[in-house]
Amino acid sequence: MSVFSRPRRALTLVLVLLTTLALSLAAVRAQDEKVLVIGAAEFLDSMDPARSYSPTGIITLNATYDTLVTFPPDTADSFVPRLAASWEASEDGLTYTFTLREGVLFSDGSPLTASDVVFSFNRFKNIKGNPSFLAATVESVEAPDDATVVITLNASDPAILAKLAAWPFSVVNPEVVTANGGTDAADADTTDTADAWFSTASAGSGPYILESYEKESQVVLVRNTNYWGTAPYFDRVILQNIPESAAQKVALEAGDIDIALDITPDQIEAIDAIDGLSVYTTGSFTLHYLAMNRNAEFGGPLADPKVEAAVRAAIDYEGFRQLAGPGAVTPAAMLPVGMFGAYGTDKAPVRDLDAAKALLAEAGYPDGFETTLEYPTYTQEGLNIETLAQKLKSDLAEAGITVNLVPGDIGTFIEKVRAGESGFFLVWWQPDYLDPDNYLYFLPGRNGGTRAGWLEADAEASLLELRDKALTETNPEERVKLFAEVQDYWIANGPYAPYLQGSIQVGHNDNIVGVFRHPQWLIDVAGLSRVE
Amino acid sequence: MTSSTFSSTPVFDWRDRANKVGFVLRRNPLVLIGVVITIIWVLATLFAYQIAPFDPSVQNINDRLQAPSQTHPWGTDELGRDIFSRVLHGGRITIVAGIAVIVFGSLLGSLIGSISGFLGGNWDELMMRFTELFLAFPTIILAMAITAALGPDLRNAVLALVIVWWPSYARLMRGLVISAKTNQYVDAVESLGATRPYILFRTIVPNCLSPMLVLTTLDIGNAILTFAGLSFLGLGAEPTTAEWGRMVAVGIDFFDQWWMWLFPGLAIATLVMALNFIGDGLRDIFDPRTRK
Amino acid sequence: MPLHLYIVRRFLFAIPLIIGITLVAFIIANAVPSDPVSANLPEKSQNDPEIVAAFRREWGLDKSLPEQYVTYLGNVLQGNLGRSIKTKRPVIDDIRQFLPATFELATTSIITGLVLGVGMGIISAVWRGKLVDYVTRTVALLGVSFPVFVLALLGLSILHAQLGLAAGPGRLDVRITKPAAVTGLYIIDSVIAGRADILANALSHLILPSLVLGVYTSGLISRITRSSMLEVLGAEYVRTARSKGLSERVVIMRHAFSNALIPVVTVIGLSFGNLLSGAVLTETIFSWPGIGRYAFQASTSQDFPAIMGISMLIAIIYVGVNFVVDILYFFLDPRIRLA
Repeated sequence: MSVFSRPRRALTLVLVLLTTLALSLAAVRAQDEKVLVIGAAEFLDSMDPARSYSPTGIITLNATYDTLVTFPPDTADSFVPRLAASWEASEDGLTYTFTLREGVLFSDGSPLTASDVVFSFNRFKNIKGNPSFLAATVESVEAPDDATVVITLNASDPAILAKLAAWPFSVVNPEVVTANGGTDAADADTTDTADAWFSTASAGSGPYILESYEKESQVVLVRNTNYWGTAPYFDRVILQNIPESAAQKVALEAGDIDIALDITPDQIEAIDAIDGLSVYTTGSFTLHYLAMNRNAEFGGPLADPKVEAAVRAAIDYEGFRQLAGPGAVTPAAMLPVGMFGAYGTDKAPVRDLDAAKALLAEAGYPDGFETTLEYPTYTQEGLNIETLAQKLKSDLAEAGITVNLVPGDIGTFIEKVRAGESGFFLVWWQPDYLDPDNYLYFLPGRNGGTRAGWLEADAEASLLELRDKALTETNPEERVKLFAEVQDYWIANGPYAPYLQGSIQVGHNDNIVGVFRHPQWLIDVAGLSRVE
Repeated sequence: MTSSTFSSTPVFDWRDRANKVGFVLRRNPLVLIGVVITIIWVLATLFAYQIAPFDPSVQNINDRLQAPSQTHPWGTDELGRDIFSRVLHGGRITIVAGIAVIVFGSLLGSLIGSISGFLGGNWDELMMRFTELFLAFPTIILAMAITAALGPDLRNAVLALVIVWWPSYARLMRGLVISAKTNQYVDAVESLGATRPYILFRTIVPNCLSPMLVLTTLDIGNAILTFAGLSFLGLGAEPTTAEWGRMVAVGIDFFDQWWMWLFPGLAIATLVMALNFIGDGLRDIFDPRTRK
Repeated sequence: MPLHLYIVRRFLFAIPLIIGITLVAFIIANAVPSDPVSANLPEKSQNDPEIVAAFRREWGLDKSLPEQYVTYLGNVLQGNLGRSIKTKRPVIDDIRQFLPATFELATTSIITGLVLGVGMGIISAVWRGKLVDYVTRTVALLGVSFPVFVLALLGLSILHAQLGLAAGPGRLDVRITKPAAVTGLYIIDSVIAGRADILANALSHLILPSLVLGVYTSGLISRITRSSMLEVLGAEYVRTARSKGLSERVVIMRHAFSNALIPVVTVIGLSFGNLLSGAVLTETIFSWPGIGRYAFQASTSQDFPAIMGISMLIAIIYVGVNFVVDILYFFLDPRIRLA
């Protein structure tokens, strides 16, 4: 006879049923909260604003932290207050004074003061992480009083405000961060151990808090009840990792996600046709380019500028525009169309196979040559990079250059590129901050140049002079002239072949309001709402 | 069937086998279907250059993602390449790779297995333990590990599969050699003063060939399947190459454009099925239990 | 022989096999053309002499090859399988995160495969020679020949996208938060948490991949079941049972079945290995966060420590499963008990 007599068994059963019922009701209750689910391919290296340098990071950090200044919601040509209520620059452009807004609290309820800004910026500078170059012109940061921040530059920097609007200049909560291994000391690059902790929680003042991050699965944000600004609509935002665009479309159709960030141009028609769904399209600042290594050891034949020019002439630009979707354009040089000072599409290159072959012959390769092209297997803004690589292979083959494609995982690929050891690689550039200054990166002596073997030691003095002037000139008209010169140089003699500026497609449920693609923060989750 | 003590005829009487083939074909019509389909694929891929309407690598952006039509009977892919042509050409790689794996795998395996079985004793134990080690790894996992170590390309994928495949042949050959060792004609040849290698390679092994042949034919289908799996994972040839497994993998990104993954997928399925039908039939021929 | 002796014997056989697996893994790891430092460390760390030195010490790279192997073995036994280049954390932690998902899928798949396979096998054996036999044998053959990834795609396209009968990729719907992790198996955890909705959702997501993998394994199982049932049905003791006047059903289920099970149990062991391989492809298609997909991502990103760790683990699991199978034999095959 069983230990549980019949009445006891019945009682247990009833209890189990009641508990299940109660818990299910609780679950149903919990679902009353307003949830937004975004499907996107996750690429995230870190959630620490001082170290992060990836798209998923950008979206998350913009929602959980604040910067001193920011852009208006739908343009990038002026600055509006965020943590700083007002600011002014000194005559010589070397000192910027920011007056902080009052009443700002961190997510844990403690007040945000100027010393917190100092801590955050010093930490960012001293950690020397991937984005630390943004702080290169910052000499010192001081807080003369609780509401004032003074930033002193070591050189004139026309792009400083644009940089300050970028996520690495987020203000973090020093108490929380130091309690979890963070520090702003000069040796923070070896002593700061807070990176791992940042993946578990946020310490900011933004509209949302990071509730959890499960690697390659999802990022969950919840409302920050202590937020100083307008409360966002959604209580909970989930960034779901869905690597494949096809899967994102399926999820969108099924209602599993409200927004799909990586819709491909080929999917636009099908999604638009579905009741209740639409696709938002716009152009992107993402610059797709080929880089050829000037160091003959890595680049081989591609180290020759004539060969590089031949590559530029061989590309079928129109075909790429067709592949990339309605918002795509061809850039003239390594400055995306639409950026201040950039050439327009009238100066875009056109394919000329004869010229390409002639240049190759001049360079000593009348029958072409063989080489390898490295690229990451990744889908960027709905564009499958491998498809682009395959088309490039075909385009170059028509000029006589035989290309062997070597795909790599994006993490390992980026590491190799950063080491400057790739001879011929295909990659894209999204602006770190919205100023043409960012693209001076692609000159000798800067990282972009170094990674293409374009070294300062080998560059002409006039080019270096041009570079230095462009880096410091603040007068807008002068800047336009300088950048025109820089673009001319790239077109004639640079180791790059920019071939496409992508198109953005964001698929979304019709009841989501406020879908907009901003070049700085990609998508502002706090600005979205749902029409019930 | 008569057998004499000094008979050197291998266990392979053509007339008897031919009768059995007819018998089996009647009982198991699937074998015929299998043979027909296999022949179609072999011929189609062999004459791919002649049959294919387009060059499999020619891209045409204007014509991308077209559904099956008059010009492109199986549609086009994401770069406007003709899928029918790519399937035909891709078959060459897939089939040749499958055969290469089986040929080299069985050669290597037979060599090791026959020596092991012949020598017996501690050598045998050692070699068999070594073989079992490789059998302990599930196929794709081991192949993946090796390809990752050596770098993903066609040659390494085949090499990895050969390494994965030889153990089962080694075991089989060993078993056959051991039972053949006890045959009387072996003693006879030995008493005539034959050297050990002669005994092994000229007497025993030829008698073991027929079951080995059966197994290898049975296995081509599996090898092709596994190879397609590897290239599906991106561990096969270079990205632009038409290769059935890889075409299916790319097709997943274009799920709605079903022709991109369905046709190469069905190609793999039908060919492997056909080979397995044949294999099944062959097994019936050589299976003592069907001798009723 | 008594059970405990038998278990010890099988265990002793398994040990050298496991050691051998680590040896094979070690050999493969050293077959890498590039040097161990560049194969195993993220590029940034390679420039840091302290990290490189620490790595060399940890794996004994300065010693002779046999000594390296001993260090390697020692590390493995302590659970140190290296550090993944991609996720930057110990491989063993990655495995711990992803193993439950695969285990859950493998279990439901094996059950599906068994039900389908054994069912088909019995049917085709009992009604041997009739149309049903041919049909089930062809279906079994199809199951074995059809590439599992194509099957998965067809299933996804027809059953999910078109007919909406099964849930899509992933273990749960996007909106559903996963249950508090006790075992990592959503079915069990959701029951423990008392969430019927999560349980239902998890089950709906398991249907399609289990069906695909189940069909894949059922082919082999059904053929073995059939041939072994045929052998047994023609055997002496079955004829005896029939002549005693027992009903056909009793004859089959009680007498024939348990003896026919023996080779089936072997096949389950084999199928498990197949399942783990097939899981790589299926998990990738269904975005299932298991070790199969982890292995695939590791191999495409040349994340060497992860690849070696996973391969070894899977092989060891395979050995473990076969060990369990051997134990089952003890109960199924009287000849072992009496040996």
